[in-house]
Amino acid sequence: MQYQRQNPAFFALLVALIFMAVGPIVLMFANSFKLDVDIIGGTTGLLFLPTIQNYETALCDVLWYEPEHLDFCALKFGGAFVNSLIIALVSTLLTLVIGTMAAYALVRFRFFGRDTVSLTTLTVRMVPPAVLLVPVFGLWNNEFCIDKATYVGGWIRDTFGGRGDVCLAGTHSGIILIYVAMNLPFVIWILQSFIVQVPRSLEESARVDGAGPFQVFFKIVLPLIKPGLAAAAIFTFRIAWNEYLLASALSDRNTKTVPILIVNNMSEFNVEWGVIMATGMLLAIPPIIFTLFASRQIITGMTAGAVKG
Amino acid sequence: MAEIRLEKLVKRYGSVEVLHGIELEMADNEFTVLVGPSGCGKSTTLRMIAGLESVSSGEIYVDGRPISHLDPKDRGLAMVFQDYALYPHMDVAGNISFALRLQKRPKPEIQAKVKEVAEVVGLTDFLHRKPAALSGGQRQRVAMARALAKDSGIFLFDEPLSNLDAKLRGQMRAELAVMRQTVQKNMIYVTHDQIEAMTLADRIVVMHGGYIQQQGSPEELFKRPANKFVAGFLGSPPMNFLEAELVRDADRTFVQGASFKLEVPEDKAATLAATTRQVIVGIRPSDLNFSADAEDQVALDLKVRVSEYIGAQSVLLCACGQDDVTVELKSETPIALGETLRFAVRPEGIHLFDRSTERAL
Repeated sequence: MQYQRQNPAFFALLVALIFMAVGPIVLMFANSFKLDVDIIGGTTGLLFLPTIQNYETALCDVLWYEPEHLDFCALKFGGAFVNSLIIALVSTLLTLVIGTMAAYALVRFRFFGRDTVSLTTLTVRMVPPAVLLVPVFGLWNNEFCIDKATYVGGWIRDTFGGRGDVCLAGTHSGIILIYVAMNLPFVIWILQSFIVQVPRSLEESARVDGAGPFQVFFKIVLPLIKPGLAAAAIFTFRIAWNEYLLASALSDRNTKTVPILIVNNMSEFNVEWGVIMATGMLLAIPPIIFTLFASRQIITGMTAGAVKG
Repeated sequence: MAEIRLEKLVKRYGSVEVLHGIELEMADNEFTVLVGPSGCGKSTTLRMIAGLESVSSGEIYVDGRPISHLDPKDRGLAMVFQDYALYPHMDVAGNISFALRLQKRPKPEIQAKVKEVAEVVGLTDFLHRKPAALSGGQRQRVAMARALAKDSGIFLFDEPLSNLDAKLRGQMRAELAVMRQTVQKNMIYVTHDQIEAMTLADRIVVMHGGYIQQQGSPEELFKRPANKFVAGFLGSPPMNFLEAELVRDADRTFVQGASFKLEVPEDKAATLAATTRQVIVGIRPSDLNFSADAEDQVALDLKVRVSEYIGAQSVLLCACGQDDVTVELKSETPIALGETLRFAVRPEGIHLFDRSTERAL
C-alpha cells in the first residue's frame, strides 16, 4: 500500500506544536544547570559549563553536606515539598472518596432535586478561584476559628504551639478544604458518566448474591470505574499540586507549598533564575510520577464481557 | 427445597398498576415457567420474588414465611439474568465464588464448590479467564454456575436464553433440561418463548396484561386452554380462529361460519349452554389433516395462498372464505397455489370460545 502524500504544512504544524510543548521544558532544563550570569548574559545558548549549584541551593535543607557557595540555607525546599505532598495527596484522596459517593448517589438514587444538584455542581466549577480568594481568606482567618480559651482550642494550642485563636488559615486543613471544594464538582461530573455505564443488572446480581449496599459499591462499582477514578485523580492532583493563588493567601511560613517557595526567589533586588528553574524541574517530578502511575489504571473496556452488548 | 406462594401480589408504578393481584403457588421442587408476551408482568413478578422490585401490596411466602420486606441478600435465592450480569473484573472462578466469599465460607470449601459446579456446566478449563474472553454460550454457563454455587433452594431465571443464537439456544435448553433432572431445586423461569416453556416446565403460568390467564401442566394448557389468549399463545404454528355461530339441528350441534359448517362432537355439545350462539372456533394446524374424501360436516375447504417449505413439513397459509387458516402438510404432497383442498378436522381438536368473553366453552 502506498502512503498518501501528506501536506508539508501538516508537518510544519506538527513541528510548531512540538516546539511549543517541549520548548519551555528544554529551556528550563538547560537553564537549571547554568549560573545566573550565563542565563542573563544570554550569550552561551546551549554551550555552557553545567553546574549543579542551583540544585544545591534549592535542596540545601535536605542535603547531607553544606554547599560551598552558600553561607545560609534560606530556601526550605524539603519542608515545602512535604507540605505540597500532604496537601495534594490528602485533597486528592478526599475529593475521590466524596466524589465517587456523591456521583453514585446522583446516578443511582432517585431523590428530590437530583437534576438540580447534578447541574449545580458544575456551575460551582465555573467560579474562578480568584473570586473565592477574598471571602475564603476572611472566613478562614476570622470565622472558622476555635477560641483558644475553650478546651479543644486550648488543647490544639498546647499541642501545636502558637499564639491567638486556632484558625483554619495557615493550616494544611484549610488549604486541603478549599482544594476539595474546588475540585469536587468536576470529579463528580466525570465519575457520573463512568457510573452510568456500569450495568444495573451487575448491581442487582450482586445484591441477589448476598451483597449489601456498601459491598455492591466497593466490590462491584468501584473496581469498574477505576479508569474514571484514575482520570479524576490525575486531574485533582495536578490542580492541587500547581495551585498558587489560594495557597499563597492561605498558607503560612510552615505550610507553604512549592509553587509559593519558587516565587520567594524573586525580590525587588534580584531574580534568581537558576534556582527558580531548578526548583521548577523538581516541582515537575511528582506529577509526572503520579500521572504515570495513575494512567496505568486507565484501561478502556473495563466492562467488556459483563453483559451481552 | 422451598414452597413459594404469591398472595394477591400487586405492583404499581405511580398510578399505573402493572400486576393485578397475582395468586400463585409453586410446590417444592417444581419447575415453573412464567410465559407471556412482553410487558405482561412476568419479569416484574420474578423481580419481586427476587426482591429487586418492591411489592406494592400482597405478600410473597417462602415455606410459609413472608419475605417481601427482606433485602435480596436475605432471601436466599439464586438468579440468572437475561444479560448474564457477570462481574467483568473477576475471572470465572471469582464470579462463581462471589456469593460464597461474601458469606465468608472457608477457602477450601469455596475451591471445592467452584470445581464442582464448573464441572457440572463444563467450565473447568476456563476458570481463570475473564468474562470478556468467553463466548456467549460460555458466559451463559458462568451465569448458571454462579447461581448453582449458591446452594439456595430457589432458582430464578430471567429469560436466560434470549440472548443466544438459535442453535445455541436449543443446545442450552437441552442442557437445562438435563440439569433439571439432577438439580433438585424450586425453579422459576421467565420466558416469552413458548417452546422453552413447553419443553422445560412442570407447570406453565401464562400471563397477559398483568393477570394470570391460566396455569397448569404443558399438556393441560395445550389441550384445554382456558381462553382464546392461551390457546393462541401456546403451540406453533398458532391456533386458527374462525368466527361462527352455534346452530342446533335436532340433536346435533354445528358451528356455522361464512364458508364452513362443522359438527361439534356430542360430549362437547352437551356442555354448552343453550343460550350461547356467537362463538369463535379454534383449530390447531396439527388437528387439520389433508383428506380429499372427508365428509362435509367434519372438513374445511381451504384455498392455498402461500406455501412455506420448512423441510419435512410445509406450512400452508390458506383462505377459508374471508378468514386465514394455517395448516401443516407433508412436503411431498403435490399441491398447487390457488388450489382448494379439503382438510378433515379431528373432532377433539375443535375448541370453542365465547365471542364476547373469549373464555373457553
